[in-house]
Amino acid sequence: MEEIRAKAIELLRSGEVKCFIGYERASDGLTARPFFAYSADDAGRLIFDRTCAHNLARYLPDMRGQRVAILVKPCDSRSVNVLIQEGQVNREEVYVVGVVCDGVYKASWGQPSQELEARCLYCSRRVPVVYDHLIGQPPASEPQTPASIPEVEALERRSAKERWEFWRSHFARCIRCNACRQICPACYCPQCFSDQLDPLWTGIRIGLPQNWVWNVGRALHLAGRCADCGGCERACPMGIPLAALNRKLAGRVKELFGFEAGLDPRAPFPFATFKKEEVL
Amino acid sequence: MSDHEPRVLGFLCNWCSYAGADLAGTSRIQYPPNIRIIRVPCSGRVDPLLVIKAFERGFDGVLVSGCHPGDCHYTQGNYYARRRLAILRDLLEFIGIEGDRFRVEWVSAAEGQRFARIVADFVMRLKELGPRR
Ligand code: SF4
Ligand code: SF4
Ligand code: SF4
Repeated sequence: MEEIRAKAIELLRSGEVKCFIGYERASDGLTARPFFAYSADDAGRLIFDRTCAHNLARYLPDMRGQRVAILVKPCDSRSVNVLIQEGQVNREEVYVVGVVCDGVYKASWGQPSQELEARCLYCSRRVPVVYDHLIGQPPASEPQTPASIPEVEALERRSAKERWEFWRSHFARCIRCNACRQICPACYCPQCFSDQLDPLWTGIRIGLPQNWVWNVGRALHLAGRCADCGGCERACPMGIPLAALNRKLAGRVKELFGFEAGLDPRAPFPFATFKKEEVL
Repeated sequence: MSDHEPRVLGFLCNWCSYAGADLAGTSRIQYPPNIRIIRVPCSGRVDPLLVIKAFERGFDGVLVSGCHPGDCHYTQGNYYARRRLAILRDLLEFIGIEGDRFRVEWVSAAEGQRFARIVADFVMRLKELGPRR
């Protein structure tokens, strides 16, 4: 924590960056919230601990044109790379402060949660994939990734009919608040397909089957782009298990195209390239 | 097998598959009338959202058909389509729409016979699967 503050003070004092995007303690005294430090004084409010679950990369496209520093965990760092790859962020404009991370707690309002987020249990990285300055000691070796993700596998084992019922019942509850989209660093489109009136992709009515087009369409747009930061599922007020969709697709993109989102900002995006000989 | 008459939406590319379907017609080859055809400039034009939308509207099956790989009028449209539609199939399968309800086939302008057979097979399989829930 002290190291982060010291780095932020150094960057802000020297004028190297205009703003340091990090976390501060939220007003409940337990959880964290995003914080924008513009001065060395502000920097004293920065924190980092297991409550800092947000993916701050979400804010980078809005800060274009200014030099900013951002604090990233390993998952968040992949989103930074996705944004660079897609031309939404200039690498030169961003000073990336990476933190070594071994998991964050599930969000919990009113009482401290001691339980790690599910994705942290099988996360394969402790060290961010992109940084200018690293905080914390990298472990001797990165953790082993389990071959499969339990909640995805459990669904795959069920029949198509059961899967249909499962997702239908979840999508039926979606209130189309768009929180999943607003929190997602990869959802920066000036006009989302779900806001388009002509063509009207997602019908106005809040219910099935209209929601279905929204939820499935968004999942598809995140294929090969989702860094599994957990933001959408955390933000969803209806508790829809969106991460399972994202993980399923991330797994397939890796199997079929050998591509993982945000590892290399110079790699061609899997859906903007092809191999003639591949059999799909 | 049910007596349900499946409704199939077909997106056919202008240069190969649509011409293939046309050939089936002009050659008077019979195939099931369950398919409604939309002509698109290229299989690469088929935004996966169109397929999702078709299922939303209650179609029992969707066929996307374009030129054989290597034969695309725009040289590469069908290669891009192939990747996108492959991931779409996985997603549909995962949310409970059987993979067999979504078919991607390459049909040339000379393959009227093949087009008719594909539609016939598809409709038969959809009858086995029964109506969508
Ligand atoms: S889809 Fe969800 S988990 Fe993936 S990057 Fe966006 S907010 Fe994060
Ligand atoms: S859901 Fe798709 S169209 Fe909408 S903001 Fe996200 S990526 Fe863009
Ligand atoms: S956050 Fe949840 S309820 Fe809101 S639009 Fe997304 S899936 Fe629907």
